[in-house]
Amino acid sequence: MGKAGSVNRYRLWYWARVLVQLCSLLLFLFLFIKTDYSGSDTIEYAVNILFRIDPLLAFCTMLAARTFIALMIPALILVVLSLFFGRFFCGWLCPMGGFLDFWRFCWRIKTSRKETRYPRLPRILLLFLLVCALFGLPFVGYFDPFSILVRGLVQAVYPAIRFISDSFFGYTYHNLPAAVNLVTEPVYAFMQATILPFEQRFYELTLVSGLILAAVFFSEFFQSRFFCRNVCPLGALLGLFGRYGTMSLRGGDESCGKCTLCRTGCRMGAVDENRKILSSTCILCMDCMLKCPKQIIHPQLRAPLTTAAGDTMTNSREASISRRQFLVCLSAGAALPPLLAVRNHGGKGQGTLIRPPGALIEQEFLSSCVRCGECIQVCITNGLQPAFFQAGLEGAFTPYLLARSGYCEFNCTLCGQVCPTGAIEPLELDQKHTRKIGHAWFDKNICLPFAKNIPCIVCEEHCPTPDKAIKFNLVEVITGQGERITLKQPYVVDELCIGCGICETKCPLPGRAAIFVTNTGEDRDPENRLPGAETATIDGYS
Amino acid sequence: MNRRQFIQQALAFSAGFSFSLPEVFAAPVTRPDLAIVTGKNYRDVVVQSIELLGGIEQFVHTGDTVVVKPNIGWDRNPEQAANTNPLVVKGLIELALDAGASRVDLFDHTCNEKRRCYQNSGMVDMVKSFGSKKVRLEHIDPRKFIPVQIEKGKSLTSWEIYEQAISADVYINVPVAKHHGLGVLSLGLKNSMGVIGGNRGKLHHDLGQRLADLATVVSPTLTVIDATRILLRNGPQGGSLDDVKQLDQVIASVDPVAADAYGTTLFGLVPEDIASTVAANKMGLGQMDLTKVNMRKKTL
Repeated sequence: MGKAGSVNRYRLWYWARVLVQLCSLLLFLFLFIKTDYSGSDTIEYAVNILFRIDPLLAFCTMLAARTFIALMIPALILVVLSLFFGRFFCGWLCPMGGFLDFWRFCWRIKTSRKETRYPRLPRILLLFLLVCALFGLPFVGYFDPFSILVRGLVQAVYPAIRFISDSFFGYTYHNLPAAVNLVTEPVYAFMQATILPFEQRFYELTLVSGLILAAVFFSEFFQSRFFCRNVCPLGALLGLFGRYGTMSLRGGDESCGKCTLCRTGCRMGAVDENRKILSSTCILCMDCMLKCPKQIIHPQLRAPLTTAAGDTMTNSREASISRRQFLVCLSAGAALPPLLAVRNHGGKGQGTLIRPPGALIEQEFLSSCVRCGECIQVCITNGLQPAFFQAGLEGAFTPYLLARSGYCEFNCTLCGQVCPTGAIEPLELDQKHTRKIGHAWFDKNICLPFAKNIPCIVCEEHCPTPDKAIKFNLVEVITGQGERITLKQPYVVDELCIGCGICETKCPLPGRAAIFVTNTGEDRDPENRLPGAETATIDGYS
Repeated sequence: MNRRQFIQQALAFSAGFSFSLPEVFAAPVTRPDLAIVTGKNYRDVVVQSIELLGGIEQFVHTGDTVVVKPNIGWDRNPEQAANTNPLVVKGLIELALDAGASRVDLFDHTCNEKRRCYQNSGMVDMVKSFGSKKVRLEHIDPRKFIPVQIEKGKSLTSWEIYEQAISADVYINVPVAKHHGLGVLSLGLKNSMGVIGGNRGKLHHDLGQRLADLATVVSPTLTVIDATRILLRNGPQGGSLDDVKQLDQVIASVDPVAADAYGTTLFGLVPEDIASTVAANKMGLGQMDLTKVNMRKKTL
């Protein structure tokens, strides 16, 4: 064994891990920025791959949707790797973990000596999510670390960065002398071309998504890797595989000096009083290998599918769930569906829930959607917004089109391309052109040509279908002054309108638009046909 | 030109059969108000149309900043005739660079998503083909709209206008001729809506007069109407090739009203059908009576 004072023989291993973690963070950021229109109708890379390698999302989604999702096959890679290397993902690759480690580094937060607060919670949560999924309830997206991270970044952090940059460079442009602008303008242009989002975006759940992410980060002040130790159900799942991993760290033993440096310095709290390392908690960060004065902690191999020697009675009790907890999870998961089923939806969002083109029928959509917000990030018009409770408790953070915020761009199919689970099917352009996601309606009480005899038809101008779905009648009206004028009064052609909502976005009326879209008539739901468009058949009896 | 053609032209001119001077005398003597050139090679068509107006040197001088303002309002490709054809724009940029322009800027305040419009209109690739830092296709920068008093305006007295559109030494308006639901047609005056900010839909309440008002402050050095393909129905963004008619024509003029007036006739309409043309003519911004316009047509 190495002598005190000599160079630690594991330091290269340690720094290799740090380097891999850093690269994985940079890759994540690269993919995140690239999740945008790039001049091509097909997206090259997107951060959605992260969601496709997530076995927690894969299990829960397939269980809830009761179907095999080929898009999520990459999750198998992580399962297999975890069977060999335990929870290495959490310490080496997970972007959430990486950010948290970086965050502690920036704030010089010392690794907390506190015992893990709720060591059983992640497993309880995991079980609860699986049970819910079994009953068709899609709650996994609320707790999945990637969903929390990407949602928070997309809906809060990234737009806020744009806002700060715009405010700063707006100030320099308008108020500072040309000499300063000679420097600031190229910097601004460079930032716009590289890291800034293309345009300022606005999101309905900025505060909610932002606060959830902030809570994860600020809990680091309470305990290192608080989220990973006390909440993360993905970590719990990987830990289950890790228990049987072929590689784990061998902790201290009777012969070691009982200094407990490994225990106090462990960011995951994975070392017990006897300096044994819990393989279901250890993320192979190798802090302990570096700190152990005798350098006796080292990686060990063992036969596959046997629990590690370190998992003593105490240890496994610490992280396992009791029978009572198991039953509570089961019954809670079982009790929820009937309760949720008997809620009065009041018409489910009053028809405002316009889902992206290609979205599955609502029930299937809800069970497949993992709330990652990828579609919301990639939507080039800022039209897709995260729902709060419009779609019920089980529909929070799911995407819907808020047409006053942005419309569904006629030639764009990006949302279906980035959806990691196929909750939004990818559409070909010609399918997209005719996919009806909703329907436009005039409010003649406020529409200018009807209500005020003022010419307008901006809606007709913007209507994108080659044969316009908004047409107009030439009508002779008598104004309040008794003047006889001819006026163009618009109307919607049911068969042509696809519900893209550009009419509502562009309606020049301040405040409420005089034309608005609802999900009525959407193709995905035969129950939601427009009056007159229903076929006189009953399901299955055509 | 050989000797025989010269004598024929000179005789025809002196006999009053032709309004056009023999080419050797033409340039310094008269310049038409309106040049209408037809041909398959759009670049040559554009170059020729400016040549007929007296050559680009009449308008662009060494060191000038030039704005070329095409219609790039829609996420449509050139064949769909909702945006100005990039080849027409390319011809103008080449001319401006040849005349010594220090920089040529292109932009439009788009209706569809900006990047998609620039990309799919073919403008991005066209500008890239120059490979020159002098030619710039930039997205509208919201900081650069300035409030402008429209002193002569009857219906529109102030509005936010993109600074470059006003400050450039030379402003070349390059609309595509197309159908428009409210304005009947979208031509040169309507294309100016691409350099203004604010809630543009509001202008629709008295569109004809307001476009004329706008033309008092956004006054192009040259108007070049792209009628290589015109959109007959479902404008201003179309989408169906059935609504497109190929004319292979470009109309150039220093008179924005005359250019629009002539453009109107391509649709089987008369200048009086377009409210903005009538209003602008009334305000003295140009001639809409085509019998009083000195025009020269040429087919390549």
